[in-house]
Amino acid sequence: MPRYLAGRLAQALAVLWAAYTVVFVILHVLPSDPITLQLSAGGADISQLTPTQLHILKDRYGLDDPILTQYFHGLWNALHLDFGMSLTQNVTVGSLITDKVGSTLELTLVALPLMVIGGIGLAYLASYVQWRPARTLLARLPAVGVSLPQFFVGLLLIQAFSFSLHWFPATGEDGWRSLVLPAVTMSLLGAAMLAQLLIRSFADTWREPHIATARAKGLSRGTVQLRHVLRNASLPALTLLGILLGYTVTNAVVVESVFSRDGLGQLAQRAVLGQDVPLVQAIVLIAAAGFVVVNLLVDLLYTLLDPRVAAAARAG
Amino acid sequence: MSTSYRHRTRRRLAAVAVSVLAAVSLAACGSGGGSGSDAAGSGGSQGDKPVPGGRLKIAFWNDLQGCIDPNQVYWIESRSLDRNIADSLTDQDPKTGKIVPWLATSWTVNPQATEFTFKLRTDATFSDGTKVDAAAVKTALDGTRDLGPRSILGVTYLAGYTSTTVVDPSTVKVDFTKPNAGFLQATSTTTLAILSPATYKETPEARCAGKVVGSGEFTLDSYTAAKSAKLTRRAGYAWPSSLVANKGEAYLEGIDVSYIAEDSVRVGSLTNGTIDIAWPRQPISEADQQVLKASGASIETRALPGIAGLLLPNVTGGRPLADLSVRKAVQKALDLPSYAKTLFWDDYPAAKSPLTSSTPYFTDESAKLAHDPTGAAKLLDGAGWALGSDGYRHKADKKLTLTYLTPSPSPGDQLVQDQLKKVGIDLQIKVVTQAQYTPLATAGEYDLVSSYLTRADPSVLGSAIDQAATKQYSAKYSQDAATAARVSALFATGQSTVDPEKRGAAYQELQDYLIDNAVTYPLYDRLQTAGVSKKVNGFAFTSEAFLRANDIWLDR
Repeated sequence: MPRYLAGRLAQALAVLWAAYTVVFVILHVLPSDPITLQLSAGGADISQLTPTQLHILKDRYGLDDPILTQYFHGLWNALHLDFGMSLTQNVTVGSLITDKVGSTLELTLVALPLMVIGGIGLAYLASYVQWRPARTLLARLPAVGVSLPQFFVGLLLIQAFSFSLHWFPATGEDGWRSLVLPAVTMSLLGAAMLAQLLIRSFADTWREPHIATARAKGLSRGTVQLRHVLRNASLPALTLLGILLGYTVTNAVVVESVFSRDGLGQLAQRAVLGQDVPLVQAIVLIAAAGFVVVNLLVDLLYTLLDPRVAAAARAG
Repeated sequence: MSTSYRHRTRRRLAAVAVSVLAAVSLAACGSGGGSGSDAAGSGGSQGDKPVPGGRLKIAFWNDLQGCIDPNQVYWIESRSLDRNIADSLTDQDPKTGKIVPWLATSWTVNPQATEFTFKLRTDATFSDGTKVDAAAVKTALDGTRDLGPRSILGVTYLAGYTSTTVVDPSTVKVDFTKPNAGFLQATSTTTLAILSPATYKETPEARCAGKVVGSGEFTLDSYTAAKSAKLTRRAGYAWPSSLVANKGEAYLEGIDVSYIAEDSVRVGSLTNGTIDIAWPRQPISEADQQVLKASGASIETRALPGIAGLLLPNVTGGRPLADLSVRKAVQKALDLPSYAKTLFWDDYPAAKSPLTSSTPYFTDESAKLAHDPTGAAKLLDGAGWALGSDGYRHKADKKLTLTYLTPSPSPGDQLVQDQLKKVGIDLQIKVVTQAQYTPLATAGEYDLVSSYLTRADPSVLGSAIDQAATKQYSAKYSQDAATAARVSALFATGQSTVDPEKRGAAYQELQDYLIDNAVTYPLYDRLQTAGVSKKVNGFAFTSEAFLRANDIWLDR
C-alpha cells in the first residue's frame, strides 16, 4: 500500500512539473514579448521608450535573463507558490489568485453535490422505473443536457428565474441566492454526463451473473440496486467525476462570464486575452494541481470500493 | 416506437425554432433605431426641478486593464469613472471642441506653443483637505511624467515636457522643449487630471488599485478590478467645469459600478431595473435597442473622438499598394454608408474622415470617399491590372491579392472583402493571435492593417501615422518618404500653434492630403452608446464620450 501511494504521488508531481514546463515553453516560443504587448494595448509602441525606460521594464519582469535561468528561477519560485508580478494588473499573481479563488471554490462546492445528486438521481430513476415510455424518456434526457451549451443554459435560466420570475439575481455575488443559478448551470453538464454513464453501467451490471444470484437469494429489486448495482457501476462514474472536477476552471470561464462572477475563470479569460504570461502560468498550474489532487483521491477511493484494486495495491 | 418518438421530438423542435426565428425577425423589423441626442443632456422629465438623492447603478462590459488611476489608465470605462472623481485644469466643450476653464480660470500660450501659463482658481480642495494650488499642479504633472511608459497616454500628451514652474500659489508655467499645441487639450483629459500630492507618494500599483485622491464631485470609496467600484458624493463640492449646470454638490448620493460581460444579461438587468445605465464598449445592437426603448429607456450616443476605425496600407515597393492608382481604387471600391448600415444600423453615421466626427478640426471628406466602383475599375485598368475570367484582376500572371492582417476579426472584414471583390481585388483576411500580430506587423508582412485611438485632439492621428512621432509599423509602412515628409510637416504645423484658425487649416489640409494620397482608409465612426433608464435625468457625455455625472438626478 505505501508503495502504491508513493507511486501515485510521484506520478502526480511529474504531471505538475510537465504542466509547468509545457506552459513555459508554449508561452515563451510565442513570437512576442509582454512589454510590446502591454504597450500596444495602450496604442503606444516600443520606439517611444528611452533605453533606460525599456531596461527598467525588462528588469521588472526578469526578461533580461537567459531563458534557462528564467525557467529554473520560475520553477523554484513556483515551488514556493511565488508566481511573480501580473503583467497587466500591477499586483502579484499570488494576491490576484487568492482574491479570486474563493468565489470559484464556493461555486464548485455547491455545484459538485448538485452534479452528483442530479446525475445519480436521474440514472437511478431511469434504471428503476419499469414503464417503458418513461424509462426511454429518462434515458434520453442526459443527451439533451450534454448537448446544450453552458452559456445558453445560463442565459435561459437568467431569462426565466431572474428577469421573469425575479427569484434569483442575474449577476453579482451577494449571498446564497446569487449562487443558485450559476451552480445549477455549472452542474448541469456534469450531471448529464454522469447520468449517461451510470445508466449504461446500471444496465450492464444488471445483466451480470452475480446480480442474478443476488436476486435468486431473494433480495428485493431496491436492495440489489443499492447494494450491488450502484457500488459496481460507481467505479467508472468515480473516474468521470474526477475528470469533471478537473474541468472546474474551464467551466468557470463560461459560467462566471455569463453571471458576472469575479472568480478564477474570469481571471483566466482576462489573463489569456491580455497575454499575461505569469498569470496564465499560475492558473494552468492551479488547474493542473486540482486535476492531479482530485485524481489522486479517486485512485485512493478505488482501493476502498474495489477489492481487486486494493489487492493489487497490497501485492504491488 | 423509437422512430415515431424521434419524429415527434423533431417536429416539436422545429416548431420551437420557427417561433424563435419569428420573434427575432419581428424584433429586427422594428423601425430603424440609433437615435438619441448628441452629447448634450437629456432625460425623461426635463424642466422638473432636480431631486437630490439615490445611487446610480451603472454596468460596463469589462475591465481588462484593472486600473483606476486616471494618470495611468487607458481603459475608457475606468476613465469614465475618473472623470467624476478627479478634476482637470481645463475642460473641453463636446459641441465645439473648445477648451474652457475648470481648475484653471485662464491661461496663456506663447506663439511657439512651448510655454503654457495657467491661472488657478483658489477655492478648490482635494478630498483629503489639501488645497488645489500651483504646487499641487506641479506635483501632479511631474508625477505623471515620472510614470513614464506606465502612463501610455501620458507619454504622448507630455511629449517634450521639461518642467512645471510655480510662479505664485495660483499660477503655474509648463515648459516644453518642442511645440506641443495639443497639450492644451491634454490638460482637459483624465490622463492629466490633478490628484492630491499625497497620491504621488503611493506606488503606481497602489494608485492603480484605488489609492487615488482627487478634487472631483465624487470620491472613490472602493474599487475592485473587473468587479465593482463605489463612488460617494463629495460634500461641499463647488468648482465644477464651466460646462456643468449644477454649480454645487452632485445630486446623486453615489454611483455603484458593476461589470457584466454578457450583452443580453446587461440589457435585461436594465429593463428589469437592477441597473440604471447599461454601457457596453461596442454599439448596442439594433435588436437590443428595441428592447431597451420598449422598456422606456433611452439610447444615448456620441462618437468617440480621435482616430476613426481605419485601414492603413503598406506602400513598400513591390507590394500592390505601392501604386497610388491601386490605393485610390481600393478607396473607391469601399462603400462606407453601406458598411455603417450593414454592420450597425440604418442611420449609423458613415465614416467621413480619418478622424471621427466628434474630433475638433474634423473635416468632412465624404465627397472624396464616395463609392465609385466604375472609377475604381478604370484606375485598375489604367494601372495594368486586367480583369480575368475568375473575376479577379491580374497583371503579368500575378493576381491582385491584398493581405489584411488582424488579431481581432470582425464581420466588417468580410464586408470589405466582398466590396473589394466587386472590383476584382482579392482580399485575404489573415487572422493571427495578438502575440503573432505584433512581430508580423512590425516586419511589414501585410498590405492592410487596422487602427483606432481615442483622444479629442486631431494630433492623436500623429501617434499612428506621423513618422516623426513614432516608428510604429502603422507610420513606417503607410507612406513613402515624400508623402511622409509632407504628412510630418502638416502635423508639425498643427502642433506648433494654438491659434484655432491656423491649427484648423493645417489639420484640414492634412485630412485632405491623407485621403488624396490614400494613406488612410476610414471605415467607420466609433459610436459610444449607453442605454439609460427613464428614471435617469441629466445624463451627459464629456468631449471624450465619458460620463459626466454632475447634473444627473433620479426620479424618486
